[in-house]
Amino acid sequence: MRITARRSVAPVIAAGLALALGACAQGSATQSADAPSSGGKTTVRYMNFSANGGHEKDLDAIKAAFEKANPDVTVQIETTPYDDYFTKLQTAVAGGTAGDAYELNYENFVTYASNGSLAELKGVDGSKYKPSLLKAFSADGKQYGLPESFSNVVLFYNKDLFKAAGVAEPSASWTWKDEQAAAAKLTNKSKKVWGDYQPISFFEFYKALGQSGGEFLSADKKSATFNSDAGRAAAEFLVSKAGKTMPTEADGAGTPDFDSKLFKSGKLAMWHTGIWMFSGMADAKFDWDVAVEPGNTTKASAMFTNGAVVSAQSKNQAAAQKWVTFLTSSDEMVSKRLETSWELPPVADETKLASYLGAGKPANRQAVFDSLDATVLPPVIERQQEMQDAVTKELSSAAAGRKSVAAALADAEKAVNALLK
Amino acid sequence: MGPRRRQVRALSLLRYAAVLAGAVVMLFPFLWTVITSITPEGSLAGGPTLVVENPTLAAYRTLLDTLPMWRIVVNSLWVAIASTLLQLITGSMAAYGFARLPFRGKNVVFALYLATLMVPMQVLVVPLFIEMKALNLQDTYMALLAPSIASAFGVFLLRQAVESVPKELDEAATLDGAGHLRIFVTIIVPLIRPALATVAVFAFMGSWNSFLWPLVVIRSPEFMTLPLGLATLQGQFTTEWDVVMAGSVFSILPIAVVYLLAQRHIIAGVAHTGIK
Amino acid sequence: MTARARWRKAGWVLFFLAPSAVPLVLFTAVPMVSSVWVSLHQWNLISPMKWVGLDNYRTLLTDPGTRTVFLHTLMYCAGYLPLVFAGGLGLALVLNRKLAGRSFFRAAYFLPVVTSWVVVALVWKWLLNPTNGLVNTLLGAVGLPQPGWWTDPNWALPAVILSSAWKDLGFVMVIMLAGLQAIPQDVLEAAWADGANGWQRFWRITLPLLSPSTFFVIVISLINGFQVFDQVYVMTGGGPSGSSQVVVGQIYDLTFRYGRAGEASALSWILFAVILLITAVQIRGQRRWVHYA
Repeated sequence: MRITARRSVAPVIAAGLALALGACAQGSATQSADAPSSGGKTTVRYMNFSANGGHEKDLDAIKAAFEKANPDVTVQIETTPYDDYFTKLQTAVAGGTAGDAYELNYENFVTYASNGSLAELKGVDGSKYKPSLLKAFSADGKQYGLPESFSNVVLFYNKDLFKAAGVAEPSASWTWKDEQAAAAKLTNKSKKVWGDYQPISFFEFYKALGQSGGEFLSADKKSATFNSDAGRAAAEFLVSKAGKTMPTEADGAGTPDFDSKLFKSGKLAMWHTGIWMFSGMADAKFDWDVAVEPGNTTKASAMFTNGAVVSAQSKNQAAAQKWVTFLTSSDEMVSKRLETSWELPPVADETKLASYLGAGKPANRQAVFDSLDATVLPPVIERQQEMQDAVTKELSSAAAGRKSVAAALADAEKAVNALLK
Repeated sequence: MGPRRRQVRALSLLRYAAVLAGAVVMLFPFLWTVITSITPEGSLAGGPTLVVENPTLAAYRTLLDTLPMWRIVVNSLWVAIASTLLQLITGSMAAYGFARLPFRGKNVVFALYLATLMVPMQVLVVPLFIEMKALNLQDTYMALLAPSIASAFGVFLLRQAVESVPKELDEAATLDGAGHLRIFVTIIVPLIRPALATVAVFAFMGSWNSFLWPLVVIRSPEFMTLPLGLATLQGQFTTEWDVVMAGSVFSILPIAVVYLLAQRHIIAGVAHTGIK
Repeated sequence: MTARARWRKAGWVLFFLAPSAVPLVLFTAVPMVSSVWVSLHQWNLISPMKWVGLDNYRTLLTDPGTRTVFLHTLMYCAGYLPLVFAGGLGLALVLNRKLAGRSFFRAAYFLPVVTSWVVVALVWKWLLNPTNGLVNTLLGAVGLPQPGWWTDPNWALPAVILSSAWKDLGFVMVIMLAGLQAIPQDVLEAAWADGANGWQRFWRITLPLLSPSTFFVIVISLINGFQVFDQVYVMTGGGPSGSSQVVVGQIYDLTFRYGRAGEASALSWILFAVILLITAVQIRGQRRWVHYA
């Protein structure tokens, strides 16, 4: 434990309050935590975002199963929508009132791990988790979190539109060229049908870069390496779609929901999006399916993963770790997630996932697992959000024709390098 | 009818047409909100439609099923009404102080009041949260209310109104032996009713729509306010716009009602006070 | 004045001011002071603060990005204030007359003030759509150029200004209506009897008597205008390419998205200085044109 005084705002507030109230300083502002245990029961507060928007009951079911197995622990769940979650979480950490355990997506994990906000998890049974996912939530050789779920991106396609246009359906062997050719044939502007949709953003770029065999950062993570031939190919691929086979901002792209409504209304032939859209598209009025995303020189599928961590501020770290372990590896969790299509459980034993293949539309669910053969996780640095914003901003400039692709990549490289200093 | 009369008539007709056209433009977003809320699988992506096929109240039912609306609305009302009343009291008293009591450094104190409006909430929210924790008030009604007990905005608006009340009225009352409190209650407050009603509308609205502060300071569902509840309807990947818009209708109507109630006072104003 | 009378006087001042002063000090001034402290540190909210002295201010004042966001904010205010003021005053004057359906109109024009920015932004993005929006369709029909509005870096800010002014018309209208109520009818009637025409009555009587409300609207609109955020956030997100990023947008990003709360606090104090200066100039100047009873 470090002895150096933690600088914080609290003393200033206390002083301000004391002055304002005209009272003498009534002691320090560090006060006793809310009594966590009553009658031998420990309460674990768990903050999360992924249950918001339809899975609140599923998380409650997992919690109930946990409490049944651990009668001495009560879990108190606090769910906040993703868009506001980090605002709330950061403020809570700043105020020392973060949950005993909380959820972090992989992109944000590094920032929290490198700032000493997380408790190291000891005695983790690593054999239960997919090794790559488990590794994603470690830093400096220490396990700071456990993978909770993962999902990946596949190519959704409207079978009816393909049939009508007489174009062969996507297969696992498709490359960008096949996709571009099909998109051109499928786009029918007079009928307001678009061939393709893929946001022009950091997330699509790092993946396309991977599909071209490029690397985003150098091995030591000290410099950006995406301003390369592979990077130019990736950016060109994305940018060249805009306005030709893919709707632009002026057509409404970027408005929340734009792409899902477009696909669901039968006006979009191919759509790069995550498996989280399966349930939303289940009742679409046309036939659709999915395929592994086409690659360029190689295959690479985007993977996203969320993890659960234990707060370093928590007074109940042991109980919190118990809950986090249950949440990420129990059979109850596995069956609940599969049953409700709530992303995928991060388990090592893939036979447990068998039921997923027959869980309904789309027919080719095997593509979800095939995609896992070659995945790329997003590049992550401490100043993650700034990097994402900078890359997306430059790519959008190129897509709108305000900059050449080469200039946009050079500027993005400069911006990212500045963030790595 | 002389040509001048006719000209005036044409002008006023033209003005009426302009006001009417403007009102349509003003009502349009609200209409769109309502229409989307009753459209099955309503979407905002495609632009507005004015004719709804198979209108349905399903979105409202979903809203009531997914959120404890009753509880949420009561919370929001409670906080909004309390902060409105408090702001009216604290604001009108301060307004009287600034407009009628001579004291040294008045302008400086007033400038300090205004200064509280000049730092954005985005910066204050973290220190304020830490302060609430130090006072052990986080996750309480008091915490929701704290930043809106008094507002310099209200003080300023009401001060302008008090300044507009002729000083002869107070002087006459002083001669009759009335003290500050009596002048304030019996002369000033009735005369600044339009301004009080205006402050009430904005205070209510401010609290009713407040998002960032409740987001960070509240963690128990039982204190959830309407904007927090509505935010949970927007998912990470998908949004059911019909439900979101049904929620918006819910959030707009109470303020509209408050405005309509207040409007009577804003208009009634001086007409009945009998000052000459 | 005797000592006792002086104490009595002070007592009254305290009595009338304390109910507002105490909460303002506790819940606004104390956080403000602590944000000064934050501004002297490097802090990402989740790890301990690191003292950097005035570095944040130095960085911000030499960063060309700071000048850009202030320029955008200034342009926003310059465009927004005249529009919303003239529009709101005009509306108040029209809706203060006898007019069929007056209450309905007053409510209709107020409705946008209470409608959430999320909805309003979507409506305006649709109205101002560069290819098939209503506004550009009309502009095209009369042969005027059709700007790219929120998709064009040169037009994104005007698009935000236009929609903000539209939304806040009702705000100014309500305050001006309340102000108009305070104008004694007999003064206007006397002017009428003296043969003053409509314009003369407006310029010589209504406008001067309305000056306390005008003063309020201008001061508050500028204080709020310099802190413009919501509409930018939902309409353009500061884009395209940062062309509509404003000061508070930057403050929000720095605090909650980029983990640079120290810089955000410093930036907000630079903003504070600017707003304070502008407000102080107005308060000084008010003696020349604001007429209280």
